[in-house]
Amino acid sequence: MLSRSAQGLYWIGRYLERAQHGCRLIADQFETMKDRPVDEIDKSWRRLYLGLQRAPVGGELRSNLDDEQFMLVDAYTLADDLTFEPGNPDSIRNSLANARENARQVRNVVDEDLWTCLNLAFLEVRDIEIVDIWRDRPNEFYRRTEDAVRTFFGIADGAMYRDDGWHFLQLGRFVERAQLLAGLIDAQLSVYSAGGSQADRATDPDWLSLLRICAAQDAYGRLHSLQFEPAAVVDFLVADPLLSHSVRYALARICEALDAVSAGRPLLVEAGRRAGRLAATIDYDWPNRDPGDDSTNRATLREIGDSCRRLHDDIDAAYFSYGVEDSPEA
Amino acid sequence: MPVEQAGTGDPAEGAQLFAGYGTDPAFYDEMFDAAGAPRAHCRELWEALGETTRDEIATMQERAERSFLHEGITFSVYGEEGAQERIIPIDIIPRLIAAEEWDFLERGLRQRLEALNLFLADIYGPGRIVADGVVPADLVRGCPQFRIAMRGVEVQHGAYVSVCGTDLVRTHDGFLVLEDNLRVPSGVSYMLANRQAVKTSLRNVFRRHRVRGIENYGRLLRQTLAELSPRGDADPTIVLLTPGVYNSAFYEHMFLAREMGVELVQGSDLVARNDFVYMRTTGGLRRVDVIYRRIDDDFLDPMAFRPDSVLGTPGLFNAYRLGNVAIANAPGTGVADDKSVYAFVPDMIRYFLNEEPLLANVETHLCRDPEGLEFTLDNLDRLVVKEVGGSGGYGMLVGAHATPEERTAFAELIRQNPSNYISQPTLDLSCAPCLTDDGAAPRHVDLRPFVLRGQETRLVPGAFCRVALTPGSLVVNSSQGGGGKDLWVLSA
Repeated sequence: MLSRSAQGLYWIGRYLERAQHGCRLIADQFETMKDRPVDEIDKSWRRLYLGLQRAPVGGELRSNLDDEQFMLVDAYTLADDLTFEPGNPDSIRNSLANARENARQVRNVVDEDLWTCLNLAFLEVRDIEIVDIWRDRPNEFYRRTEDAVRTFFGIADGAMYRDDGWHFLQLGRFVERAQLLAGLIDAQLSVYSAGGSQADRATDPDWLSLLRICAAQDAYGRLHSLQFEPAAVVDFLVADPLLSHSVRYALARICEALDAVSAGRPLLVEAGRRAGRLAATIDYDWPNRDPGDDSTNRATLREIGDSCRRLHDDIDAAYFSYGVEDSPEA
Repeated sequence: MPVEQAGTGDPAEGAQLFAGYGTDPAFYDEMFDAAGAPRAHCRELWEALGETTRDEIATMQERAERSFLHEGITFSVYGEEGAQERIIPIDIIPRLIAAEEWDFLERGLRQRLEALNLFLADIYGPGRIVADGVVPADLVRGCPQFRIAMRGVEVQHGAYVSVCGTDLVRTHDGFLVLEDNLRVPSGVSYMLANRQAVKTSLRNVFRRHRVRGIENYGRLLRQTLAELSPRGDADPTIVLLTPGVYNSAFYEHMFLAREMGVELVQGSDLVARNDFVYMRTTGGLRRVDVIYRRIDDDFLDPMAFRPDSVLGTPGLFNAYRLGNVAIANAPGTGVADDKSVYAFVPDMIRYFLNEEPLLANVETHLCRDPEGLEFTLDNLDRLVVKEVGGSGGYGMLVGAHATPEERTAFAELIRQNPSNYISQPTLDLSCAPCLTDDGAAPRHVDLRPFVLRGQETRLVPGAFCRVALTPGSLVVNSSQGGGGKDLWVLSA
């Protein structure tokens, strides 16, 4: 497959995953805002921004949570920042616009139904602003937008030919997912346990919210009933190979996709080795961790996030931007 | 201006939509004869549309336009901020061409393209037509589109022009060729998209006609390109070379690449190495056999044509010259659609084919000739003046619609560089009914059929029909407010 086409599909996967993650985060935030005290809501926003590694509008994000200076900016402004802010490259609208622009550039390799689905999703958010969705039920907007992304992947899953195009779409989607999950779980541990005092501990609703963002609450409930054991929740989201929003699951899809695009010899490319190592770390090292040692566990999660970023560079170097001089004839 | 009321063939039928349709006897009307009755081959359409209420038609129209937006069937307009992607407006009332009219057009188009390809083979080869004094030497050699590098290059099947989009207009005198687009003609995707949209929204009307199919265009194009492959194998690697997403015709490039199932590449995706051309794939470099390029000569290869270009693929032309890759259309075809050279096409047909041209040219005055210059300057108010290398409706003066100041300014441009201009009479372009807020109304139209040439000549019975949506306007270019119509070629 033409490198640029593959790259386009890879980025469609990444941007749509990013848009979907954004929708889930904000939709969950609205749930939190319904019935929880102000300082809890404040913490939840912090977790959200920390996970995205973005500074909230109107204030620096402090790592020191005892800092009383932190001001809760109103939800309207924050939601606008994450959804429509033109200067936020990862806003939901920008993510959809970028996905759509990538699709437009490689539209000859994007199935018509997929393009139409993505184009409509983009047209839907193109001309509206936060004031429009705030008027009645903002939740509806996030649900609709997420549904559009889900429809896209549903069509892709049902109709796409399983050639390199499909595998690069998957690759982008799951590299993004692994990275976002690692960031989110790290943020959860940072916001709710760093202070160590009882007041800062995560309560059941905080864990439920994390599970909800990862579409994991039902599965978790079946396995553990709704006993929110922090170590179990974190382990579930990092290492469970059957949970579609777990780091381990995303890595499995990444390895599969790399295997397919490397004609069964993924270990010949650095990307394949890195993804394999990462999966092995979760399988063999992660179970031996001390669940109470937040700082070490957070360091591990940050390492996973960094590895995902390097994985992206490896994929780029191996398939998209390789040097011509040392390239063999296909 | 005398106005005839049309739609009087039978008061009961065709009444609603065409009730206020006023034909202007100055212009040939595609649907109604001089007496205002529908032409024989349009009667069915007239009756069928007449049964539909205006509201119903308007709904169909809106549906067709919305589908264009949703499917992203767009073109780009240069220099208009914030309006980079626009849909080409579509008028839902089809234009009908009778079977015998099409037969005539098809023969004329084949004849013309044959002569043009022979002309190109000759000027880049033995140069007989110039030596025999039929076409002036300096006209050919002085043309900016003449590519000296093409001298002696072997071109498969003599198909210099593999894809030709000829602009035709109709007046009371019949069909005329307005221009031959021999470089990178566009519009074929709109031909196909308009058909798709109209076939869907007017399906009951469509079913009542025997419309010849055009859907196999992509297959014919692929077949044509495959025949150009230097390897001569059954399944050559064909790519479509686009300048990228910001080109006004990008939608079309994407569309055709998909129709043909070939890769859509940009200059940076191609690499010339050891006199072969490759594309960058996820599995390494892959050899390319045929390049259907939709970029100008200038941007093909900075080493051969324009050193300041960042778009091209260095070394591409050398690979082409050595016969290791085919480029369609061949570089240097622009010399044959230069607007001065255009004036000599009827002579080319006589010279190379020993036949009389079937399709007439528009009367053309070359400002490079003293008489032509004088005539042009004296009659500026009733002439259309064009730059010889211009296209897309840019850089032209429609004398009748210009202010005296604009004419004076343009006259000065002509005097400064006469050989850069030609003039033609203002054409009485035919009209066809278009949907307006007040029912159907006449608007000027032209048509651009697409002729393909590989080992043999092929064309689908259809054309991109352009329409000037502004009342009275004669400019049909999509960049200047024109729209499209579906064109139905009826079978006998």
